[in-house]
Amino acid sequence: MKSHLIALVAALAFAGAAFAQTTLNVVTAGDQNMVDYVNNYLAPKFEAANPGVKVRAVGTGPGDSGSQKIYEKLSAQQKAGTADWDVDVAVIHQLASATMVNEKLLMPYRNDISTGKLVSRDTAKNALGANVDGYVMPMFHSQIVFAYNPELVKSPPRSFAELTDWVKKNPKQFGYNGVKGGMSGVGFVTGWVSAYSGIGDKLEKGPFDASSGPAIDKALAGLKDFNQYVVMTPGNAGTLDMLNRGEIAMGPVWVDMFYTWQADGRMSPKMKLALPSPGLPGQPMYYVIPAKAAHAQLAKKFIELAESPEVQADGIIKQFNWYPGIDPQYVQPKLDQTAWNKLFTDVSPQDLARYGRPFPLSPYFKEIVEGYERVVLK
Amino acid sequence: MNGQTSAPRWHGLALAAPALTVVGVFFIAPLAMSAVVAFRDKAGGFTLEHFSKAFDLYTTDLLFTLAIVLLSTVLIGVLAIAIAGYLTLGENPRAVALLRWLYRWPLFIPFVVAGQVMRTFLAKNGMLNHVLIGTGLIEPLSAQSLLDWRGIVVAFVWKQAPFVTLLLAGAMASLESQHIEAARNLGARRVRVLLDIVLPQVRGTLLVGLVLSFVTMLSVLSVPLMINPNSPTMVTVDVAYRINTFADYAVANALCLLSLLLAAGGAWFYLRHAASKAVT
Amino acid sequence: MNALTLPSPLRALLRAVLLALFAFAIFGPLLNLFLWAFAERWYFPSKLPLEYGLTFWYRVFQPRGNALASLGTSVWIAVLTVFLSLAVAVPAGYALARLKLPWRSAILLVFLLPQAVPNLPVYVNIAQVFYQIGLNGTIVGVVLVHASHGLVLAVWIASAAFASVDVSLEEAARNLGASAWTCFRTVTLPIAAPGLIASAIFVFLESLDEFTGTYFVGVPDVTTLPLLMFNASMGGNYQIASITALLLLIPSIGFMLVVERFLKADVLAMVGR
Repeated sequence: MKSHLIALVAALAFAGAAFAQTTLNVVTAGDQNMVDYVNNYLAPKFEAANPGVKVRAVGTGPGDSGSQKIYEKLSAQQKAGTADWDVDVAVIHQLASATMVNEKLLMPYRNDISTGKLVSRDTAKNALGANVDGYVMPMFHSQIVFAYNPELVKSPPRSFAELTDWVKKNPKQFGYNGVKGGMSGVGFVTGWVSAYSGIGDKLEKGPFDASSGPAIDKALAGLKDFNQYVVMTPGNAGTLDMLNRGEIAMGPVWVDMFYTWQADGRMSPKMKLALPSPGLPGQPMYYVIPAKAAHAQLAKKFIELAESPEVQADGIIKQFNWYPGIDPQYVQPKLDQTAWNKLFTDVSPQDLARYGRPFPLSPYFKEIVEGYERVVLK
Repeated sequence: MNGQTSAPRWHGLALAAPALTVVGVFFIAPLAMSAVVAFRDKAGGFTLEHFSKAFDLYTTDLLFTLAIVLLSTVLIGVLAIAIAGYLTLGENPRAVALLRWLYRWPLFIPFVVAGQVMRTFLAKNGMLNHVLIGTGLIEPLSAQSLLDWRGIVVAFVWKQAPFVTLLLAGAMASLESQHIEAARNLGARRVRVLLDIVLPQVRGTLLVGLVLSFVTMLSVLSVPLMINPNSPTMVTVDVAYRINTFADYAVANALCLLSLLLAAGGAWFYLRHAASKAVT
Repeated sequence: MNALTLPSPLRALLRAVLLALFAFAIFGPLLNLFLWAFAERWYFPSKLPLEYGLTFWYRVFQPRGNALASLGTSVWIAVLTVFLSLAVAVPAGYALARLKLPWRSAILLVFLLPQAVPNLPVYVNIAQVFYQIGLNGTIVGVVLVHASHGLVLAVWIASAAFASVDVSLEEAARNLGASAWTCFRTVTLPIAAPGLIASAIFVFLESLDEFTGTYFVGVPDVTTLPLLMFNASMGGNYQIASITALLLLIPSIGFMLVVERFLKADVLAMVGR
């Protein structure tokens, strides 16, 4: 009886991997729907085109901690001197990509694949000031925006100044997640500092200037005052969660998460988005190939497929309402007008171009976030 | 040690060796590998700068963590004594059976899920407030969110009290019943019997359960992350934040070691008060 | 406890109210879990889900999701972890409770460490070592990590269980000519068994809920259900997280029932002694 049970369990455990000759391991940070996207959408297409290959997708969790876990796994293999690494394709955030390129954990591949030249955004070459040219391809682009309940917020604030007025008239109706609970809160903080430090452009374009500290601290002091009128939420998902339960009326969220929550029935379809001036940061999720990926050639083919205009149109935009990773001019012809317009329901392409900003360069980024701990939290 | 036999010392060590090897090789050695990072500066020399930075930024969080975990431990102890006491001394068999069936459920809920259910349960517009408002116990306007230190404490107590209760109820049930019967026959109240006669005999088990809960709560990340990762928060959140946002393993490891000191404090308390008299 | 001085109908009422409150405290949060597992749409201002359905169950059980295989792997790892932990914890617990042991307190403390430290930095180092010796991506590797983490429960509780065995019983057996081994097997072990069984349950639960170590040592070759649960939960994907948590309840409660049945007694009546 017992041995039968064990045999059954063992059979179940190994059934998945028994038949394919080659397994392509795709490890992705981010929400579960990204794992589902690889598993349900990309994998069948790729396996059909490459007989004998099985794609296996594993998630490492949302936010930068998910990317950091991928970094740690690759770094462990580098330090251990492993010859063939067990990750073939990884999907990571900007912050980790800079570190990983720097520590030689990735291989350059963009020039090896035919869809590599379809990218046009600056983020395909530059991650928070680090040169990642050739090592990354954006899977999709995401943007931090204000999500709000139009029943409670008749006209959303169009700038940080209007937001400040609004929270004073509507205390405890705006919520964000500080700096320790995920990047939507961090992005709001860097957006605030860009708006109020007077050195917004320098924060994004450099060069780094250590004497900017006082300007940053002054902006953060304003944020400390602002914080008296707002609610602190538990994490990226926590902001969406509180919006969903009607506990706050507005808050900064990742646009991709927002649409996922709506699609999964955890967010009212009535909720709307707004992007204030002078802007909030956005960032892509990157496809990367580890330096010693066991199946590097297959990995390149996989990303080539994932970055094709057809897949970007049908998978990224139509299924998830995410902004495409490659240049929109290649994607738009593959879509009908309705699907294309849906992408810009709340935030117009012009606003996105104007107010969708990159994150500050990493030394500034670090200074702002640690400054938040020093100035705002203490 | 009242139960020691006269076997030579190496017998004991030999029996403990396999378990020590597992923990030593698969935990202590890797722990030491990361502990040294906390003392190393960029050039590889010895430094305490990571500790001073940890204290500089996170002293409040360290104290907050200690306060939360201590408060939770006390509440867990009180609840466990009350529930286990009723299971042992309760006179209504149906109530005892019902309670026995009820209290165990949170044991099977992982911490991360406990954090999640508490987030939706204790929120301002969460189920607890819906019920309180629905039954007229509070006014809708006075509903408030418990998603701060209180939420973390509630989640910890909810999750860990059954663990200690399970241990404690077992220990109480196997006590000699004559003493208890005799006291009851002399007219002693149940509370007195519980506190004066039963509890002293199961003190060791209670302490084991409480110390294990204490250290476990110190190392849980998901509950504070789900309920309140904002300032002040628990040290585990700061560790994750140093790593994920700055890849700063030095300060993260310094925080881990400080957290370890707190845990060692709890363990020291236990060893002083219980282990010296044999664990019972 | 005013109950003793109250007239009995009042006492019964008080008891019923207290039990009802307790039931609410236990099941209130769990009700949320249950509702989310079947909620298709649930948002403000609705106090209950607007629409129920099984969409997310299909998503969890989609063939490519491998949820059942992961659940199988999780249980298999947990069972092996229990065997390994008990195999080393029983002698260690006996030594700690009964034998002369130098640095006894220090040894108890060593077992406590894995439970006491935020684990992530440690697992990163374990992963590096396991990659070097080829244990990464294997069930054995994951079991070793889980065991080192769960061992404190097994060792501490086993030690408590052995310490509570009346020494005079052992001495009587030895006086009748039983060898130390026979004495241990026929007298000490059976009396301590309930405590050991309880520790087995805790180690099982500990392993079944673990995901950080599994990630660093197992992924991508070994994936368990708690990994999916953790990712979904942290991302606020309440439906998937709730469903996986409910799935994990099955082996947890199942294991508890099996060991209870196996002893044919109220096992937990003697836990921890």
